[in-house]
Amino acid sequence: MECVVQGIIETQHVEALEVLLQGLSGVPKERVRVHELCLKSVPMLGAVPSEVRLLCDLAQPTPSWTIRHVGGAMRGAGAEQISILVRTIVESKASSNVLRYFYGIGYKLDHEILKVGFAFRFQRGAQFTVTVTSANKMPKLHATDEAVQVTPGIQLVEITAPAAANNYNDVVSAVTSFCEYLAPLLHLSKPGNSTGIVPTAGAAAASLMSSGGAKTL
Amino acid sequence: GISHCPARRPAPCEDSRVKTPPSPLLAGAPPTRRHGPRQVVPCSRLSPSPLSSHGAQPPAHPVSAFPRRRLMHWHPNPGVTLNTQILSEACGCAESLGGTKDGRWKTSIIFYRPMTRDGAGGAQQNLPPDVPRELLGVALHERPGLYFSILRNQRLVLQADAAFSQVMEKLQSFKARVNLNFEGFQYQLGDFCLRIGKCVPNNTETLRGIMMEVEYYPLSSIEKSRAIMVDFFDIWQETLAKKSLPGRFIHVESNFAEYGLSDHYSFQHTAVQYATCLQQLMAAVRA
Repeated sequence: MECVVQGIIETQHVEALEVLLQGLSGVPKERVRVHELCLKSVPMLGAVPSEVRLLCDLAQPTPSWTIRHVGGAMRGAGAEQISILVRTIVESKASSNVLRYFYGIGYKLDHEILKVGFAFRFQRGAQFTVTVTSANKMPKLHATDEAVQVTPGIQLVEITAPAAANNYNDVVSAVTSFCEYLAPLLHLSKPGNSTGIVPTAGAAAASLMSSGGAKTL
Repeated sequence: GISHCPARRPAPCEDSRVKTPPSPLLAGAPPTRRHGPRQVVPCSRLSPSPLSSHGAQPPAHPVSAFPRRRLMHWHPNPGVTLNTQILSEACGCAESLGGTKDGRWKTSIIFYRPMTRDGAGGAQQNLPPDVPRELLGVALHERPGLYFSILRNQRLVLQADAAFSQVMEKLQSFKARVNLNFEGFQYQLGDFCLRIGKCVPNNTETLRGIMMEVEYYPLSSIEKSRAIMVDFFDIWQETLAKKSLPGRFIHVESNFAEYGLSDHYSFQHTAVQYATCLQQLMAAVRA
């Protein structure tokens, strides 16, 4: 299970966001370069149509593969009221033949994307992962070196934190309060409910950069 | 002191306990024996002196990161029903060779079948022909955090985390149908480890087969360890032959190259061997 929120930010303000995240987390940023392949089951296979994501981490010297299944969002009146999505997630590391494996058992490639950017991983009432990435599409199958941005000038910000059935309320609270720190730069909401860019972002970024610059002097 | 076997065909061993039994071979020995009675044994590891000095402690010699392992299954004579006496005799055989029992082991194999929109397991003929009718999951006793999935028709073995079985549950495209456990005792025998066990469906005691693993600690290379494995197997068969059991252990080579696996042994090799062994056990039961 995980709690997740997403938002978008103009690329020109990403540096300010990085300064802010660095200050809030106190950890160095990590490079993100992930080739994500979304596969769907062929017709008739499975009790229901299914979808699986294969993530190839290209930021490491040796690429590593992860199988990721994103489950349904938590439902109910309580879930409607909160601005954070709580959903089930199952992940497993896998050997590098995992794509061939899924093709072999009856899955087909639906789409693929290359996410490039950075991430901060830290503990703050929950185990946070904040990623700031641009989505890139490939002109040819698997041609990650030739990837071009899908939305130039806009980057996706995603905050996730693992949760369990007995503690997700605490995790939701921790994520909600963390989002408030970022509010001047971007608005975060449930995935799929994007509320666009924040009008105050320019001023907030300028302020952050000036104070951030002063620190380095 | 202890030294691992330096050559493919080592010098004769002085130990009378493990000396090759005299010919003619007793009934039950493998008919496909290649070497005939010999006066050589695989390695000084089988001699009691290093064993007696170390008892059941872990081997104090070079241990490869991925020691070579070989699986054998019990092939009963035609018309003979499988029973647990074979298992006891094989364990007794390991002890008579100087093996020290040091615990239990267990490996699980899970059969998955495709699910269809028509209902669980129903109307598989509606599936596209390239969808496999069966997947095997293998959970090895010594690596509980790992899970292997084997696509036999495509000669593919996937290594994943234990969470992989949860991914499969969530996808609802293949359903776990049968869970077979391979379990038994483990014996330390110098540079070798023997695991002798039975194959039983989960939550039952119905005997489906008997098998054994032989692990040779010093080597990872399949090619380099081939001769020593063959020698060990010969001695094993000769010792077991004295018991006149109604059948024999057989090793069926897995084609690792077809699975894209190298000469350097890995857990994936073991998973593939379990798949081969299972196929043989099922064929023996059908016969």
